[in-house]
Amino acid sequence: MLIGIDVGGTYTDGVLFSQGVILKSVKKPTEEENLKNSLLQVLDELLADQDAPRIKRIVLSTTLVTNLLATRRGEKTALVLLPGYGLPHDSYDISGETFFLKGAVDFRGREIEKLDEDEIKALLNWIKSSGISRVALASKFANRNNVHEQTLRQMITRECEAVHVSISSEISGKLNFPRRAATAYFTAMTITAWNSFADEIEAALGDRGITAEVQVLKADGGTMSLTASRSKPCETVFSGPAASTMGGSALTRDELNSVVVDVGGTTTDLSLIIAGEPLYASRGAMIDNHLTQVNSFAVRSIPLGGDSLITSEGVQPYREGPAACFGGDKPTVTDAFNIHLDLQLGDVSASQNKLNEIAQQLQADVRELSGRITEQVSQQLFAAVNEMFRQWENEPAYKVWEVINQRKFRLDRVIGIGAAAPAVVPGLARLMQAESFIHRYSPVANALGAAVVRPTLAVILHADTQSKQYNLDPGGISGALDKPRNFQLADAKEIARKHLQKLGTELGLEDYVDDADFFLEEQFNMIRGWDRTGKLFEVGLQISPGFIKEFKGVTI
Amino acid sequence: MKPTGILFFPAFDWAISPTHPEREERLLYTRDQIFEEGIMDLPQIREYKPGLASLKDIARVHFCIPDVEAQITEAHLVSSGSALVMADAVMKGEVKNGFAIIRPPGHHSMTVAHGNRGFCNINNEAIMVEYLRQQYGIKRVAIVDTDVHHGDGTQEIFYHDPEVLFISFHQDGRTLYPGSGFMEEAGGPLAYGTTINIPLLPRTTDSGIHYVLDNLVMPLLEEFKPDIVINSAGQDNHYSDPLANMSFTAQGYARLNETLAPDIAVLEGGYSVESALPYINMGIIMAMAGIDYSNLREPDYNPSRFKESSSNMERIYRIVDTQLQTFRQREEVIEKNRRSPEMFRTSYESIFYDTDYINENQRNELRLCPACGGFRIINSSAQHPSGKQYNVACIQLPIYACENCQDQAREAYKTMQSNPAYNLVYLQDRVRDEYKSIITRSGEERIL
Repeated sequence: MLIGIDVGGTYTDGVLFSQGVILKSVKKPTEEENLKNSLLQVLDELLADQDAPRIKRIVLSTTLVTNLLATRRGEKTALVLLPGYGLPHDSYDISGETFFLKGAVDFRGREIEKLDEDEIKALLNWIKSSGISRVALASKFANRNNVHEQTLRQMITRECEAVHVSISSEISGKLNFPRRAATAYFTAMTITAWNSFADEIEAALGDRGITAEVQVLKADGGTMSLTASRSKPCETVFSGPAASTMGGSALTRDELNSVVVDVGGTTTDLSLIIAGEPLYASRGAMIDNHLTQVNSFAVRSIPLGGDSLITSEGVQPYREGPAACFGGDKPTVTDAFNIHLDLQLGDVSASQNKLNEIAQQLQADVRELSGRITEQVSQQLFAAVNEMFRQWENEPAYKVWEVINQRKFRLDRVIGIGAAAPAVVPGLARLMQAESFIHRYSPVANALGAAVVRPTLAVILHADTQSKQYNLDPGGISGALDKPRNFQLADAKEIARKHLQKLGTELGLEDYVDDADFFLEEQFNMIRGWDRTGKLFEVGLQISPGFIKEFKGVTI
Repeated sequence: MKPTGILFFPAFDWAISPTHPEREERLLYTRDQIFEEGIMDLPQIREYKPGLASLKDIARVHFCIPDVEAQITEAHLVSSGSALVMADAVMKGEVKNGFAIIRPPGHHSMTVAHGNRGFCNINNEAIMVEYLRQQYGIKRVAIVDTDVHHGDGTQEIFYHDPEVLFISFHQDGRTLYPGSGFMEEAGGPLAYGTTINIPLLPRTTDSGIHYVLDNLVMPLLEEFKPDIVINSAGQDNHYSDPLANMSFTAQGYARLNETLAPDIAVLEGGYSVESALPYINMGIIMAMAGIDYSNLREPDYNPSRFKESSSNMERIYRIVDTQLQTFRQREEVIEKNRRSPEMFRTSYESIFYDTDYINENQRNELRLCPACGGFRIINSSAQHPSGKQYNVACIQLPIYACENCQDQAREAYKTMQSNPAYNLVYLQDRVRDEYKSIITRSGEERIL
C-alpha cells in the first residue's frame, strides 16, 4: 500500500492507494503554524484500521520551506559572493547581509583573479564576532571550477567550527550565478528547520511502527528520500502544484497535450502537459522574487478560485470566506456555479439568496447573473492558458533547427483537479475546443500524484579536452580526463551515465537508473588559428518525472 | 522605464566550414558569460525568440542570383529574421532599444548576391532598414558601422540613397579586408555626403575612436536627424582580435554604445571568441540597458597598455574636419549633379567574393532624376562555382521614387525581358513592395 500526503496552504490531503484504487482519502484544514500536526492527523486517519507495516511507501509534499522563505523566517545567513568582473555589485540584491570578495574564474574554469587574504581575514573576524552560524558562498563560474568556494569553505569551517557553509557549486552545475547564489542562500536559511522537521517525521513514523520508505516530493514532480532531502530543502518548494500536475498525469497516462487546472478556494493553478510530459519553468522556480536553480514545473497561479467573492462589479480576486451554500456571508464563484450548473452543493437556497442581493443591484435575475459569472471565470482562465501557450511557443531558441521547427501548441484536453473543478472545467474545455477530463479521483489527485510518482535525478557533465578537466553536477565534482586527445561524445555520455548510476545507487534509485535519458548533448570544436586545439562537451542525463513501477494506472 | 530587448541567436548548429572563424563555437563563451551573469533575468532586459525572414524580406534588398533560395541557408533566414523581430519590438514600443546578437553576419553583402563575401550572404541591417521603411513608414535612417572591417556591402546598398546616412569607422583599407572605405567614397551623385568613411590606422585606441564618435559621428547624427539609429555592431576592433589590428577595449565598446545610444544594434564580425566577445557583448548589453558597466573588463585588461600616439590623433583631427565638410556640403554637391545634362550616370564595378571565389562585373546606371534619388539598373555578370555563367539585369526602384522614375523602371523591366543577352531580369519595386524576376528564355516569371 502507498500513501501520498500533500500539505497545502489551505487543506492537507492524503490518500491510501493500492492496486489502482484509492482505499481511503482524507482532507483536513492545514494548521499553518504546525504543519507536522496536520500531516500526522491525516496520516493517522489514513492508518486507522490499517496494519502499519503493510505500508510500503509514503510520499510527503509540504509547504514548509515555501512558507519559511515567503514569510522571511529563514535562519540568519551571511551571503558571500565572488562575482569577479561584470555586473555591478548592487545588481545582486539577494540578501541584506552580503559580502563581496575578490577572486574569479572564467567560463573555461581558469583562475583570473586570486583570493585576497586580507579580505578573508576581515570576513572571518566578522563571522566570529557576529555569532552567525550560516554562510552561503557563491562564486561566478564555480560550476566550471569551484576552487575558490572550496578553499573559502575550508577556511571558514577551520576557524569557526560551528558555522555551516553551503556552496553554490554543490547545489547546481548550471550556468547562472545569481540563481545559484540565491539557491545556496535559501538552502542555508532553511536547512536547520527542514532537518528538525525531518527528525520529527522520522520519530513520529517510528512511533507508529511504520518501516516504509519515506520520500519527499520535489518541485520537478519527482521524489527524493527524506534523507537526501536533508541537504536540499529548497527542492521541496512548490511541490503542491507539482503533485497536482503529476496527479493529472497519473489519471490520464497518455501522450496528449493537456492543461491541468487545479481549482482551489482562492487560486487556480494551471500547468501544461505537452505530449505526456509536464512542462518545466525554463528559468527555474521563483522564490521570494528571486529566480533559483530549483527545477520546477511551469505553474501559473491565478487569483481566482471557488471562494472568490462576487460583488456587483463581478468576480473579485480575493476570498472573504466560504461560499454561501457552505455557510458563508457573501456569494462566491461556487454559489454561481451551484445555480448555473445546478450542482446541488450544500444549501442551494443560500446560494440563491446571496446571489439575489447582487442580482437586484444589477437589475438582473439570479440565473442570468450566475451564467455571466461562469462565463467570466472561464474567459479569465482561457486568457491565462493562452498566455501560457504563447510563452511556451516563444521560448528563446539557440539552434537553427529549433527555429525552423516552430513550436505550435494544440490543446487536446483540459484536466480538472480539485473539488471545484467539475464546475469550471467543462465550460473552459468548451471554450478551448478541447476535451474535458474530470475523474472521480480529481478532488484528491494531488495526494494521489504524490503517492505514485517516481524519484527524479539529473546529472550534467561539462568536459574540456584542452584543460583535460571535467565537472559533474550535482555535487560539484571535478576530475581529470584520462584520454583527452581521443575523448568523444560517447565518452562524455559514459562518464555522465556512470555518475548517475553511482549517485542513483547511493540514493536508492537502482530501479530507475536504466530509465535515464539524455536531455542535453552539446559538443564544440575549439579552433585557434585554423587548428583544432580541443573539444568542449556538455551532456545531461536524467531520470525524468514518471511513475513508480507498481503503478499501472487507476481503475476507472 | 522600458527594458532593453535582447535576441541571442548563436546558431550553434551552423558554420561556414569546421575551422572557419564563422563556426559554431563563435558565440559559445558569450553564451556562457551572459547566462552565468544572469543578465537575461534582470528587469532591465527582455529576451526575444528568433524569427524567420521571408523570401520577400530578402528580395526587398537583394537581387539573389538566380533566386533567393540559391543564396541562403535556413540559418540566414533566422539571422535576418531575428533582426526583424528586434526591429518590431522597438517599433511597437515593447522595449526602449534592442540588441540582436546573431550570426551569420551580413555587412559585406551587396545589392546583387552571387555568393558569400566576407563571411556574409545577405545583409541583415539592410533587410531590416527596408522592412522598417515598408512596415512602419520610417523615412530617415542612420547606420553606424562599428566593425573593424569597412561595411562595404551596406555602403554599396545605400550608396545612392539620400535618406540613409551610412557611417563606417574601420581599420584603414590599405591594411585590411575588404580594402575599401576611403574618404573619397562619399555617396552617389544624388546621395553625396550620406556615406561617411573614417579609415583609422592600425592600433587606434579607445581615445581615438571616442574622439571620432564625439566630434564627428554624434554631430552628424544631430544634423541628419534620423528617425532611427542602427549600430552595425562588429566587435573586431578589440585588441585581441585575430583578424585585425586595433586596440579597442570592452569598456570602449560599452561607452561607444552609451554615447551612440542606437535604437537597434546588430552583431556583425568579431572573432576573438574567448578573450573579447564575452566581455564586449556584456558591455554592449549593459550600456544599452543603462546598467553601470564600470565593473566590466577583460581578464587581461590593463588600462595603461594602450596609449594613442599624438601623430595618430593629428590624423584623426584631420579626418574629422574633412568628413564634417563632406557632409555639410552635400546638398550643394547634389544640386550641382542634378543639373548635369546626362540622363543616366554610368559606373563600372568589379566585385570579388573572397569566400566563394567569384568575380562579378557590374555596369551601374543611375537615373539623374530631377525630382528624386533616381532608380538604377545594374547589369551583372559572374560565373558561379557550379560553372554556370550568369548575365542578369537588375532594376531597382527605391521606396521614395518619383512617378516618372516608377514609370521608366517598370517600362525598362518589360523591354529588357526580350533581350537575350540576359539570363534573368529583375525588378525590385519597393514602391509597390513587389519583387519580380523573369527567366528570359522561358518567360517564366516569379513575383514575391
